[in-house]
Amino acid sequence: MKIIEKITLKELQAMTGEYYDDMIKGVVDVRNGILALNAALHSEIKSFLLDGGSAQEDLWGINIFPFLEGEDFIVYESLINIRPAQNNRSNIVQDGNLKKQIAKIVHSKII
Amino acid sequence: MTRSRKTLQERFEQMPLAEQMGNIGSEVSRATYFKNKNNPEQVFNCIARALELTDSSIKAAQKNKLRGTLKELCLMREVMCDYFLGNNEYNINIKSFQNYFTQFAIAAALKKGK
Repeated sequence: MKIIEKITLKELQAMTGEYYDDMIKGVVDVRNGILALNAALHSEIKSFLLDGGSAQEDLWGINIFPFLEGEDFIVYESLINIRPAQNNRSNIVQDGNLKKQIAKIVHSKII
Repeated sequence: MTRSRKTLQERFEQMPLAEQMGNIGSEVSRATYFKNKNNPEQVFNCIARALELTDSSIKAAQKNKLRGTLKELCLMREVMCDYFLGNNEYNINIKSFQNYFTQFAIAAALKKGK
């Protein structure tokens, strides 16, 4: 598990297989523009980022499929996203603008 | 958030962890009751309250730099969501999960009894 500053697509693809065959779990801190990747559970990445000072309400779980393209590259689904207090009652990120924000941060890290 | 709700949250965060977990466990028990009654709306309401309390516990653990507690609370939260609102992919045994909270409630009660 690590915080990603910059990563190539090939490096992302090489990351798969450690926990999941074709997918990498990640958590994005939308306030601070942080992307952390690669653990068995989103909750592990979440606690890692909380330990680093992120706020719960800014953290959103995603799955990256580095061998897929377009809208399949990022799936905005995670149990940590179930947050009734923030009006997200599903494991899928409901807010379209928030999804865009997450995608922008993810893509900004890929060189 | 209303002022009274914020005060309650602050009071909850200051409770000992065992007492916090006991309270969360109460909501989990209620959610289990309604799950067995096949009432998803009430399950959601109970879990929404459980999540609110859990998030307060997480905030307190973060503030107090309790790394191990933080990790466990985040895991517990994910497992709770998986069982009650997901597909139980983690194959949770609900009796064991409820027992987990019961131990905290007992610890809290014993401490208060001292």
